[in-house]
Amino acid sequence: MLEETLILFRNIRNPDYDKSLKGYKKAGGLKALKQALEMQPDEIVQLTKDSGLRGRGGAGFPTGLKWSFMAKDTGKPTYLVCNADESEPGTCKDRELMLHDPHQFLEGMMISCLAIGCRHGYIYVRGEYWPSIKSLNAALQELYDDGILGKKLLGKGPKLDLTVHPGAGAYICGEETALLDSIEGKRGHPRVKPPFPAVSGFNACPTTVNNVETLTCLPFIVNEGAEAFKAFGPENNAGPHLISLSGHVNKPGVYEVRLDANLKDIIYDFGGGIPNGKQLKGVIPGGASSSVLTADEIDVTYSFDALAQAGTMMGSAAIMVFDEDTDVVKLLHRIVRFFSHESCGQCTPCREGTHWARMIIRDFLNGNGNEHKLKRLHRVGGNMMGTTVCALGDACGMPIQSFTTKFADEFRDVQALAA
Amino acid sequence: MPVFHLDGQPVEFEPGEKVLSAALRAGVEVPHYCFHPGLSVVATCRMCLVDVVDMGNGRPMPKLQTSCSMDAVEGMKVETKNTKTLEAREDVMEFLLINHPLDCPICDQSGECVLQDYSFEHGTGKSEMEYAKRVYGWRDVGTFVALERNRCIHCTRCDRFTREVTGTNEFGMYNRGHELTVDTYADRPMTNKFQGNMADICPVGAITDKEFRFKRRVWRLKKTPSICTGCSTGCNVTIEYDKNEVFRLKPRENPAVNRWWMCDEGRLSYHVMNERENRIMKPRGRVQGELQPISFEQAYQALAERIAALNPGVGGALVLTDTNASNEALFMLRKLAQDGLGAEQVFCPMPDWQQPDSDFFIDSLITTDKTSNRAGARELGLTGVADTAELKTTLETNPRVVIVLGNPFEHATELREKISKTQLIVAISPLFNGWTELADVVLPGQLHSEQDATYTNKQRRVQRTHIAVQAPRQTRPEWQILAELLLALDKDAGLDSADAVLQALGQAVPTFEGLSLSRFSEAGVLLPGEANDPGRSVVDTRTAAA
Repeated sequence: MLEETLILFRNIRNPDYDKSLKGYKKAGGLKALKQALEMQPDEIVQLTKDSGLRGRGGAGFPTGLKWSFMAKDTGKPTYLVCNADESEPGTCKDRELMLHDPHQFLEGMMISCLAIGCRHGYIYVRGEYWPSIKSLNAALQELYDDGILGKKLLGKGPKLDLTVHPGAGAYICGEETALLDSIEGKRGHPRVKPPFPAVSGFNACPTTVNNVETLTCLPFIVNEGAEAFKAFGPENNAGPHLISLSGHVNKPGVYEVRLDANLKDIIYDFGGGIPNGKQLKGVIPGGASSSVLTADEIDVTYSFDALAQAGTMMGSAAIMVFDEDTDVVKLLHRIVRFFSHESCGQCTPCREGTHWARMIIRDFLNGNGNEHKLKRLHRVGGNMMGTTVCALGDACGMPIQSFTTKFADEFRDVQALAA
Repeated sequence: MPVFHLDGQPVEFEPGEKVLSAALRAGVEVPHYCFHPGLSVVATCRMCLVDVVDMGNGRPMPKLQTSCSMDAVEGMKVETKNTKTLEAREDVMEFLLINHPLDCPICDQSGECVLQDYSFEHGTGKSEMEYAKRVYGWRDVGTFVALERNRCIHCTRCDRFTREVTGTNEFGMYNRGHELTVDTYADRPMTNKFQGNMADICPVGAITDKEFRFKRRVWRLKKTPSICTGCSTGCNVTIEYDKNEVFRLKPRENPAVNRWWMCDEGRLSYHVMNERENRIMKPRGRVQGELQPISFEQAYQALAERIAALNPGVGGALVLTDTNASNEALFMLRKLAQDGLGAEQVFCPMPDWQQPDSDFFIDSLITTDKTSNRAGARELGLTGVADTAELKTTLETNPRVVIVLGNPFEHATELREKISKTQLIVAISPLFNGWTELADVVLPGQLHSEQDATYTNKQRRVQRTHIAVQAPRQTRPEWQILAELLLALDKDAGLDSADAVLQALGQAVPTFEGLSLSRFSEAGVLLPGEANDPGRSVVDTRTAAA
């Protein structure tokens, strides 16, 4: 039986936990920040590198390495921007952290600011997350009132300000460069890379963009050391990870797992199995943009590398389960409709392709599909992949390609039923 | 210079240059829509994808790269024609065409449409789109350009133009995804003075020139490089004409003068090239108080006789010109004044003028000096007067012969009245004006679009024009009229071509030394030495606007 690890969720799972600053301090909070203040920035970066922490936003890029890319001695301020836009369908882990334990996250953010020499950090929160925004602002107010944030961090460190910036509800603003555009007050359009944000990001200054969960890992790493963090997963897949389990499971929710858990166990132990005794049909393992896994493929370790090997990805760790009665054509239509609606429209393949794919799938739903259209749908999905500025083209292409490959018969059945 | 390999061929590049720019400079066509050298790189049309098989370190790039945003690196190997890139281009073309109307026959861009060209080259020739195409409502965006949004391929060049080039921000992208569209801000019509450029940079028929559209199919147009004579900037242009009728002017790239741009006022200046009603078609002489058509020979003979009889000399002749005439014409006029009439000075109007200065280069193109050759007149040492009052002392000597080239002091009716009592008035001009009404002899000149000539712009850059359209048969270039007049006065200078005049000018005025029409750079020649026009003042348009 799989157990939760309770590192990031240590406080949240405690029913008596008081999420105010007082409660957080009582639960042992801010110890790591004090320790980090004693450390050199390079030491924090090295510690993070040693811990093997990989970004929790979707790409899984090593965090310490990302920090070390920051352009140095440019004479410009450096910025840390926290990506709390959490817009990948199925994902809701950051919301829990911001809503129920904001101080742990903010402590992680403060430590990260120390590591990269940031004096003003921004938290870009998804526009729909009003309760989270309120919770964060209340927590920030406590930190300012307590003299922790402001002119001197903890009363003795460098100046540090944190600002919460609500988004306006665009999926694309979860892409880091579009997010930076959005904070700057422009249309959220992903930028061409290079230059990467580490060289020219927010206001053309060196910038790091990190996910909420990534930053929340920092207090534990500083307190317990890199090796302790590494112990929560196989080689190269360090740390505990929050998953957002949803769909046809008995107990959907956000769970904290080790990165060597099995996907099947996650679904059946945490999720409590499929409701009404039905059979599993498939799983979307890492948010709407990851390739789908069929029921036969779910016996896989839920880690960055193992999932990549299985031809899909961990993404934002949003596991969506669907049972035997699910109409996958409808499901794919819903996914593609989402991407078509959220495409910013600047790149040709994504602007035209997402809409075109949606029209073709609609044909199947209306019983007008055929073998030729199935092939074309597959090809349209493929043509969007790897040819756009940001990853939205890939995000829409991957489900299209995997659904049309793995569930091709269902597309044909829809056709047969209509006939 | 460092070198990278493009399709196996070595290509030199400046450090920091992008692959696409270097390739275009080397003459390799990499298809592209959103890239424009005068605008920022957005890399969104995805047409210029290339395969980087070696990044210069032996490793390939895993994905295709947009060459417009990819820095060229020493030793890099780039493929633009392998299967991978050709297939990607085909796919992008397919995406672009699914919503583009296939109405080339009634689209005015047809023939100079990049989408049409690339579709021919890289498209599959059949459409797989079987759904309703995207349709936008019609929009009127102003007086100068027409917007047909259904044809838009969302390259955002127009958006970037108003943001980065004019700084007026009146045009932009609205909505997102499939519904992305271009429009003006808050339904207001555009007001910037450079809208025509948006039609130029639009790769498809979405933005077209209202002046030009539906007048002539572009493949019928013949093109001749020239300059705009609408103001002292002298923007480099191409005159586009068919059957001796000019249809439009298009800016011609010259990084030192106008880059890729020109103003709308300059674009409209083509109208005068087609002027027939007000055009002087034949020499005319005053017979019994009426201007009658005569031949050039009759005119020259009569003038030689009258001038000999009046024997003007110093104080007896007044020579006036505007600063629109070419360097050659001004030089020959000076020669005629000094050698033929014995006058010491040639007078021309030189009022003060303003050069705008702003954060946006394009604003500097429109000066308040609306003549094309003020700097040339200054180089030649003509006497510039800001006001007709300065001519008073000269007029007191009661000149007996007045020669007027062009239309100087256009609005000085008092001056004209005073001069009208002169015994002999000769007006040389392509168009009728106040002076030709007074003149005893009218000699028909030619426009800059009809002759080989040079003009000196505000930077003191000498730029040439070419014969584009044929002038009316009984007109002659001004330099030739003046040379023939000298011949009639027995003061032949032996100059029988515009080139010969320019070379003689080079001998007389040192700054023009060595110039010749037969080997003249299309980018123009900057005269040596410093510009010192006391009439020039710089207006900061930033503070003026604020």
